[in-house]
Amino acid sequence: MPKIVCAEDDKLIATSLVEGFTAAGFEVTAAEDGEAAVAKIKEVKPDVVLLDIMMPKLDGYGVVWELKSDPETAKIPVIMLTNLSDSDTLSKILEAGVTDYLLKSEQTIDQIIAKVNEVLARAPMAQA
Amino acid sequence: MIILSILIADFMLLGGVSIFYFRRRMQERAAMAGVTNRSQEVQQRMYQIQVLQEINERIGYTLDTSKIIEIVTGSIGYLLEYETVSFMLYSDPKNVVFKCHVHNSVNHAFIAQVKEKMNAATSTLCNQEVTLEKIDERMSGAILDDNLDVQVMSYLNVPVIIEGQLLGLINVSSSKPNLFGRSQAGVVYTITNQAAFAVSKLQEVLENEKGKLSGIIAAMTDGVFMVDLDYVLVISNPAVIDMLQLPVGKEATTFDIIDSLAGKVDLRTKIDEALAKNIPIDVPEVYLHDKVMNITLTPVRDKGGDHRGVAVILHDVTSEKSLEKLRQEFTAMMVHELRAPLTAVRWSSEGLLKSLGDAKTHLEDAKIKDSMTTIDLAATNMLELVNDLLDVAKIEAGKFDLNAQENDIVASLKEAIKTFEPQATAKHLVLNYVGPEKQLAKFDRVRISQVITNLLSNAVKYTDSGNVDLNVTMQEKEKRVVVSIKDSGIGVSREDLSVLFSKFKQLKSFDSSRKGTGLGLVVSKGIVEAHGGQIWAESAGENLGSTFFFSLPL
Repeated sequence: MPKIVCAEDDKLIATSLVEGFTAAGFEVTAAEDGEAAVAKIKEVKPDVVLLDIMMPKLDGYGVVWELKSDPETAKIPVIMLTNLSDSDTLSKILEAGVTDYLLKSEQTIDQIIAKVNEVLARAPMAQA
Repeated sequence: MIILSILIADFMLLGGVSIFYFRRRMQERAAMAGVTNRSQEVQQRMYQIQVLQEINERIGYTLDTSKIIEIVTGSIGYLLEYETVSFMLYSDPKNVVFKCHVHNSVNHAFIAQVKEKMNAATSTLCNQEVTLEKIDERMSGAILDDNLDVQVMSYLNVPVIIEGQLLGLINVSSSKPNLFGRSQAGVVYTITNQAAFAVSKLQEVLENEKGKLSGIIAAMTDGVFMVDLDYVLVISNPAVIDMLQLPVGKEATTFDIIDSLAGKVDLRTKIDEALAKNIPIDVPEVYLHDKVMNITLTPVRDKGGDHRGVAVILHDVTSEKSLEKLRQEFTAMMVHELRAPLTAVRWSSEGLLKSLGDAKTHLEDAKIKDSMTTIDLAATNMLELVNDLLDVAKIEAGKFDLNAQENDIVASLKEAIKTFEPQATAKHLVLNYVGPEKQLAKFDRVRISQVITNLLSNAVKYTDSGNVDLNVTMQEKEKRVVVSIKDSGIGVSREDLSVLFSKFKQLKSFDSSRKGTGLGLVVSKGIVEAHGGQIWAESAGENLGSTFFFSLPL
């Protein structure tokens, strides 16, 4: 069962994501802020991270930086989820060097699941 | 502009005056033909006055000294008999101008004598021996003939004094003896005086205009300066020093200005470009010393179309830029806040639809309830946000309708407390009301409840432990009722207090875990102010709690 950590501070969105991914057969761990996300990723070692940008305590870019500076987590694929599609946000996402990003309002849960599966197929993590 | 219009007026006047002279001469001839000596004398006197009047008018529009003296000397011919009329101009000590108009041919010696007489007069006037090293000599009129045996037999010298300064000397010389008496000297003297008076008046006006102009330039908030074709700074205002942070009290040069902008914009090249292309050059958004400015360079041309230099305007757009940034941030935040609940609704309904369409997946009632709750909450959040946005739009348009009636403010407060009790209890917060049991005031119950709900919801949201105290006080003297909502929460920093109620705000201590548009406070302010009341906040600082107040007039 593939493991994902879903970092999202908006409770309503987080609930929908967790429900959708659980129903699709994922083992989902939710984190409601950036610090919790880093802690849970280090603990769970997920196959993919779904990461919101605007989060309390530590934002999405901060989380990516934390993950990259630890060899244990540096290679975990990260998919950023955002509500904003302005050029400023997009260039910051590119700079952060994540695997992919999705604009929340343009996706269905199914499409996000498909994207996660695609990332999993492309970069299978060395794991049992 | 003023100078330009004077010059144009001068040009037009010259044409008019020459026609006037022509007519006068014809009249003079007619007069000479058949009238008596007595009437001739009267006519002569009248004529003098008219010439004076004309000189005055002509001079009234020019400030070129040599031109003025030429006008004066040119007029003398109509009044006196002479061989030469000359003037010396001392306005530029390095280059004294001697101009002589020869009416009837004389010899070189005659001219030398004229100069001698003039020098002697100047020395007397200046009370010292004047030796003129370099003289710019210009002769006009009849040719000099050394075969003639003429000498200066009569002459008169009249000084031209403008504002207490000896500007020049006019000399009229004749080979006939005893030609110039007191009355002739008087005529020339009067003409000269008249000219001098007109010039000093004009200079005064010009000085005043110049003063006004430099006053206006100095008072401008934009930095304004002008450089001439040799890059010499002709004029600059204090805003230039301020914006470019040039040393205060030191006379700035064009190169100080160019240096201060080095690395940001090559001003010298831009100046050359403006001159070469003969069009204004705009340099937008130059960032310098925490400021943003737009620079405009405009070539300055004189009446003849020749370049005189370049005028440069430094326009500070820092506040516009930061406002634009705040606006962008506000838009980004609104986009986020509007999309988030919609996404939640979409994703939750997606899950529900899938389970309905797939007979094998049977969703438990609890799961369905969860999804429906999510949808309900998201829709409610969204509706609140849209309502806030519409309210802000109404407030900004000044179209806020109130249904103000006599109501009990305490009742409204207690109602709100009841609504928030479950939320507060869940966070172990205590909501207290201290104050009178009833306080009547005239207000729109629905709108003021909206304000109370907003303030109370913030108090609960931003307080993790302790109390929220509500209070009503009657201020007899100010004729108002003041409602206060005091919490022991995260508080507000001093900087943030001032922007709390504005639409575009960038709070220094913004904690994104307590996301929100902040529109609630903008709406609350609009509602309270529409009642004629005030809204404000006090806080001892961050983490020291805050108190929000609003007043309603009695």
